[in-house]
Amino acid sequence: MDKIRIALAGNPNVGKSTLFNRWTGMRQHVGNWPGKTVEKKEGTFHYNQQEIEVVDLPGNYSLTAYSVEEVVSRDYIVHEKPDVIVNVIDAANIERNLYLTVQMMELGANVVLALNMNKFAFEKGLKINKNQLSQLLGVPVIEIEAVDDTGSEQLLQTIIKVSKSPNIVLGRLEYGNEVSEHVEQIKNIIDQDISGLEAPSSWIALKLMEDDPEIIKKIEETGKGQRVIGEVKKIQRHFNDVFGDDADAAITDARYGFIAGLVSESVKKPKIDKITRSDLIDRIVTHKYLGIPIFLLIMWLTFQITFTVGDPLGGYIEEAFALLGETISANLGEGFLTSFIVDGIIGGVGGVLVFVPIIFILFLILSLLEDSGYLARAAFVMDRFMHKLVGLHGKSFIPMILGFGCAVPGIMATRTLENERDRFLTMLIVPFMSCSARLPVYALLGAAFFSVYQGWVIFSLYILGIVVAIIMAAIFKKTIFKGMSAPFVMELPPYRIPTAKGAIIHMWERGVLFLKKAGTLILALSVVIWALSSLPVGVEYASQESITGQIGTVLSPVFEPLGFGEWQATVAIIYGFVAKEVVVSTFGIIYGVGEDGSGENAEETATGESSGEISNEQASGEASSESVDETASDEEVAPEENPGFIAAIQGVFTPLSAYAYMVFVLLYIPCLATLATIRRETNSWKWPAFAAGYTFAVAYVVSLVVYQGGLLLGF
Amino acid sequence: MMSLAMATENENLKIVQIGHGGKFQKRLQEMGIYKDSQIKVIKNDIPGPLIVDVKGSRLILGRGQAQKIMVEGSEYG
Repeated sequence: MDKIRIALAGNPNVGKSTLFNRWTGMRQHVGNWPGKTVEKKEGTFHYNQQEIEVVDLPGNYSLTAYSVEEVVSRDYIVHEKPDVIVNVIDAANIERNLYLTVQMMELGANVVLALNMNKFAFEKGLKINKNQLSQLLGVPVIEIEAVDDTGSEQLLQTIIKVSKSPNIVLGRLEYGNEVSEHVEQIKNIIDQDISGLEAPSSWIALKLMEDDPEIIKKIEETGKGQRVIGEVKKIQRHFNDVFGDDADAAITDARYGFIAGLVSESVKKPKIDKITRSDLIDRIVTHKYLGIPIFLLIMWLTFQITFTVGDPLGGYIEEAFALLGETISANLGEGFLTSFIVDGIIGGVGGVLVFVPIIFILFLILSLLEDSGYLARAAFVMDRFMHKLVGLHGKSFIPMILGFGCAVPGIMATRTLENERDRFLTMLIVPFMSCSARLPVYALLGAAFFSVYQGWVIFSLYILGIVVAIIMAAIFKKTIFKGMSAPFVMELPPYRIPTAKGAIIHMWERGVLFLKKAGTLILALSVVIWALSSLPVGVEYASQESITGQIGTVLSPVFEPLGFGEWQATVAIIYGFVAKEVVVSTFGIIYGVGEDGSGENAEETATGESSGEISNEQASGEASSESVDETASDEEVAPEENPGFIAAIQGVFTPLSAYAYMVFVLLYIPCLATLATIRRETNSWKWPAFAAGYTFAVAYVVSLVVYQGGLLLGF
Repeated sequence: MMSLAMATENENLKIVQIGHGGKFQKRLQEMGIYKDSQIKVIKNDIPGPLIVDVKGSRLILGRGQAQKIMVEGSEYG
């Protein structure tokens, strides 16, 4: 049997992805539409021995040429001609959702309507007569619940049935005499003049009347479009003269008119709008005064949970790596290969993998917030501030929140911003959101210097990132991105309980980017760092005489005024440019954290080498207070609680310089992956270069102020 | 006739005129905001965006954008 090709279409937030995930599970492929920055999801699955290939079209409201997502969707329908289009519809919001449906029918698509979220519609008091609707539209209508299996069987059976006997129902759409007549008129001219068009000529006629730039271009390219286009112009003028309206608006009216007719015959609405649970929650969550405290509380809880759950899990990974290193050392003995594996690979990659639990948990919570509908409320709540302070609207805040997880999905999420200026501006400030890769650095230095105040110190860095982002955005808005921001309209989806599967897939998609980075970039870099730290031959590993040490020593005076002029700190910053978590793995390699005798090794470094340079009092004072802590919590050895490592770090920094260092790591040059994403999204080298340059300057200045200011205040 | 930004909460309104053009007008259309359509303000109590009800869906609309949409009371409810 040939496989059936189906596409999922629908408005955003209708449960399309939930259905897609239910069908394809982890067997999905996420890529980009050719030549576009729009995500393309594909997958295959079997139903009754029938292979079904499914493409998840981007969620949109319409099929105009005004957004890339819409163009991608309609091009797919026109050129790829999927056997069936499953149009997922939010039953509670059926009227607006059908606007997309009728446009797909105009295109001659073989549509099946999947009415989702019927429970919510019921709660709102809507009664949908699906048989009536199906008869009026001429397409099958199936009730489903994407979150469970309700209707799934029936939907799949229907898909297979209509894939064999398509029902194309151009004739069902009634747009009133005025519009229909003119469409017919233009259609006839197209049929006479131009042949070999992939889309139905009636659709082309509609699009020409709507002034669709892409279709006009296509018709002009045929070289036979003069007569049609002339006629279209005439009709458009006629609409303007007679109705005082453009043809475009008349067609929109006609579509909604047709839909209103459908709905009045097939949907029973309550006399008075019922107040839904979603509304009740919104009364509190978007409340004038409560909205912002609730937002802050949710953010605080997010990070609290991330650390409480993620930290011990990281400890297990750390133990596993320590054991691995021990085993390898024991079996291979001292030597070049052992050093390569233990110092280089385990020290580098292992040091980063320890933070995988934290990162995945953070992504999981952000996914839950997104899927539940809360992030849209956050955009509403924050709009006031964004508008006043920055001149961006609340929608820009979503990429910024995602930036807390990782700047790469954050920057990709700026695609939802229509205005290019807003988009570029948001991209430039997203990297200031403290991403999860920077967490390892804070976790390490926080544990070493701030013990019980660790949480607050880390929190202050997050806040600092936001403040700097806001200040920079305000400056940019007055200089390079002068002008009005894009108009703000956005759907507020009803709250729903996120599904575990959906959230996990979401988390996995994003988290896996980090794992890939650990497997490729960080692995490669770890090897480079290890090599540079071992060369020239005969030098003690990662000592000041190694190449690494020499580079650090030469450049370190640059950072002297910021309080961290030690060569190790400089080396970590240089390598951290590749990925910020490498800062930690660099420390790991330099201080031998992955080695089995990490304690001794690192302590040696600390006492033997660095403590002389630093105010002795402070270092030993800190160290002793820490060591009490350490023995107390010995049973739970989290990565940043490795006593030898901690002691070594304490030899290099003071609390103030450690803070200045964290500030620098927070703000300086976005990692390579982020810059690569900015390059891809802006399609120019100019923006990533600018982002790198200006963030370095900002980081330098802010760290300088923190350190020198701190000194003056006597810290 | 008044601007949508001046409307009180929970009042049924009809859109009389949309002072937006081009792309944004399209965007509003496809989300259900067009001339002669029904709209209801759900939330209009902060000096920021509004929440409106359009055909049963909730939309956030920037205040500046709401100011350019003219509405009048509607007997339809």
